Amino acid sequence: MAISTVFEGIRVADFAWVGVGPLVSKYLADHGAEVIRIESSVRPEPLRRAPPFANDEPGLDNSGYYADFNSSKQCVSLNLQHPDGVRIAKRIVEHCDIVTESFTPKAMRAWGMTYEDLYEVRPDLIMISMPMYGLTGPWSMWQGYGHVLQAAAGISHLTAYPGEEPIGTGVAYTDFLVPHFAASALLAALDHRHRTGEGQNIDFGQMEAAIHATETMVLDYTVNGREQQPLGAGHPDYRPYGTYQCAARGEDDDRWIAITVTSEAELASLADVAGQPSWTSLEADALDSEIASWTRTQQGEELMQQLQSAGVPAGVVQTPEDLRGDPQLAHRGHFWMLDHPTMGHRAYDGPSFRLSETPAELTKAAPLLGEDNEYVYKDIVGMSDDEYVEHLVSGAFD
Amino acid sequence: MTTQAAAGPLAPFRVIDLTNELGQLAGRMLGDLGAEVIKVEQPGGDESRFIGPFRGDVVDPEYSLHWWTFNANKLGATLDLTTTGGQELFTRLLDSADFLIETCPPDAAAALGLGVETVRSSHPRLVHTSITPFGREGPYANWKATDLVGTAMGGLSSLCGAPGRPPIRPTASQGFTQASAQAVVGTLIAHYQRTKTGRGQHVDQSMQEAVTFTHDNASPTWDIRGINNGRPGNGREIGGYKSGQYVYEAADGYVAALSYGGLFGLTARQTIEWLDHHGLAGDLTSDEWLAKLDATQGILIPPTGEDGDHLNDVLVAFCKRFTRAQLVSEAQQIRNGWGIVHTPSDLLENEHLAARDYWTEVEHEEAHVTYPGPWARLSKTPISIRHRAPRIGEHNFYVYGNLLGFSDDEIMQLSDEGAI
Repeated sequence: MAISTVFEGIRVADFAWVGVGPLVSKYLADHGAEVIRIESSVRPEPLRRAPPFANDEPGLDNSGYYADFNSSKQCVSLNLQHPDGVRIAKRIVEHCDIVTESFTPKAMRAWGMTYEDLYEVRPDLIMISMPMYGLTGPWSMWQGYGHVLQAAAGISHLTAYPGEEPIGTGVAYTDFLVPHFAASALLAALDHRHRTGEGQNIDFGQMEAAIHATETMVLDYTVNGREQQPLGAGHPDYRPYGTYQCAARGEDDDRWIAITVTSEAELASLADVAGQPSWTSLEADALDSEIASWTRTQQGEELMQQLQSAGVPAGVVQTPEDLRGDPQLAHRGHFWMLDHPTMGHRAYDGPSFRLSETPAELTKAAPLLGEDNEYVYKDIVGMSDDEYVEHLVSGAFD
Repeated sequence: MTTQAAAGPLAPFRVIDLTNELGQLAGRMLGDLGAEVIKVEQPGGDESRFIGPFRGDVVDPEYSLHWWTFNANKLGATLDLTTTGGQELFTRLLDSADFLIETCPPDAAAALGLGVETVRSSHPRLVHTSITPFGREGPYANWKATDLVGTAMGGLSSLCGAPGRPPIRPTASQGFTQASAQAVVGTLIAHYQRTKTGRGQHVDQSMQEAVTFTHDNASPTWDIRGINNGRPGNGREIGGYKSGQYVYEAADGYVAALSYGGLFGLTARQTIEWLDHHGLAGDLTSDEWLAKLDATQGILIPPTGEDGDHLNDVLVAFCKRFTRAQLVSEAQQIRNGWGIVHTPSDLLENEHLAARDYWTEVEHEEAHVTYPGPWARLSKTPISIRHRAPRIGEHNFYVYGNLLGFSDDEIMQLSDEGAI
């Protein structure tokens, strides 16, 4: 397979950590950019210390959580607290087109590595800063996590059982939402630079992007004065529209199917598959409980096939295990199997779109901490052997 | 923030947007980035104009807040793609465009002239993006999906909701949102390649696969540990390990505070001190508890069972006594990332967003309407909401006259023929 060369010649200094930043640079790396992660063993990237660990053995080079977000990248170790740390970081940036970071704004200011500082080193640089609440404003120094930010952005307010506490999604949702907005802004800025030669700074406040994922929640309030409320699995306009428990599959009695009806024709088809013509005239609550009783006796996968064949939008609530066996995802080649020096042969998520001419190519598993020190410091930055050893001994590369 | 005239980074480019609710955010994002986006609707108005809620609850194709939200920064032209005349016009529109985004069902694409090969051979320079429920090809390609079916089949709903209760829908319409936002990334990657080669390509975006990319650590957890992360309810699950509650009731609403509010993990020591300062740490100040909670030297696997229950009890009692603002600002002072669970009105009244001049007043016929502001702040090429969503056929004369060169009489004739 040809290596994706869309971003050949584009080099990225990736200071970002956890979810949002690494997922932005993953798009670039998986499409041919040279992405250099800049990390340190003194204050390790938090995901390197988060489970799942290969063989259940904790270790900075053993986290599957970290690995999944950092395919196709390189990694240097660099201690920015070391007296030479920032100077060395700037020497890396000098050779880079893009800088990404996701700290609270205090960090880059303290190190003297704001956009204004790095502009002096590399005038056509594109820098994207992705703090939770943006680079300015009274909350700009606040920390957070994806779980918390989905709540701050209003997503958790809507994602809950009706009338209950705002639990939100079960994942650090905005970590998997805002990177697409950030990457879009970054790619547009890269296009601008390609045409004009001009770089720029991007202040990406994660909350401000996440609010765009609340559909009509804002306008319903600003226009109608209405605070939209959570509906569980439901939808404001359609019924039936929900998740229904299916028959157990082997030992597993937690199998569910989503069945949704958006037209009279789909309702008639659903009634037909169930062999219950009277369903088309049932009241919504009664129909819901009829469907629930029926699905409890059905295997979800078979029922999904029958309903889809009849034109009813329906699908099993798939688990991570199910996804690995999903024929559609397999057809698209979503999961990539890559060999990692300490973690072994592991599955990685690839991008969700297919480019017909230059598809993504996950060129390697996630990097070990400091795996590419020699290449980056000597071949890119241009350190001599003596200089390299001097920094190594002094602890600059810790 | 007031509407500004500054050009966004994609100002030189034109997008033809033929999307339904599955993909409308994609065109909106490209419009926000400065591209000229022409939303092509069927004569009489796009079906998504009938998606609620509506202004004043009046069902009217010009009053759909769904339409307003997802079609701001777009121009509107009507076109009947089921007629020969309409398809000819569409081909000419594509001649003038840099991007085509569409949500045509795969089995209907050929009949509408939207087959991948058809578009590529007539418009090799175009970046053609398809957003479909499962992708243009494959065993499920012609299956139907609503937003909930997308979040179910993509696996996110299996991680949303409480144990023993029905999985819930990541709201509002996160399946559509993910499909659209990830499609923009793919589209702009294809665009960058075109800047080097002059050739476009097809971008095949699947909603299901977009949702599959939102699993947090569930995918490697299955791969490595053979465990399915489940529905954590009011909690979180990481690597197959369950942690306690993370949404707590304050005196005036809810706060979100991960890892037992920071009592466990890197912030354990200072969080215990904070609770103790209010006289509410209970026995957590003991060395025994500190040894269990302080993870500054260790790894991040949270306490469970009785220990977890005890931490929850302490936090539940603590949070009830204070307002959200006090809890979160005090937590942040000790570098502990608590946040406020915002309702819509909270957001509109939020001091931080106000200080950043986030909300944008957009002019409509009757009044100004407040919209969410820019989702990124680009220093040289700022993005903004330049104008409201189009009325039905509002820009027909611009599109067919100025862009395609038809005279007013010819446009009236196209209208009479039903092509537009």
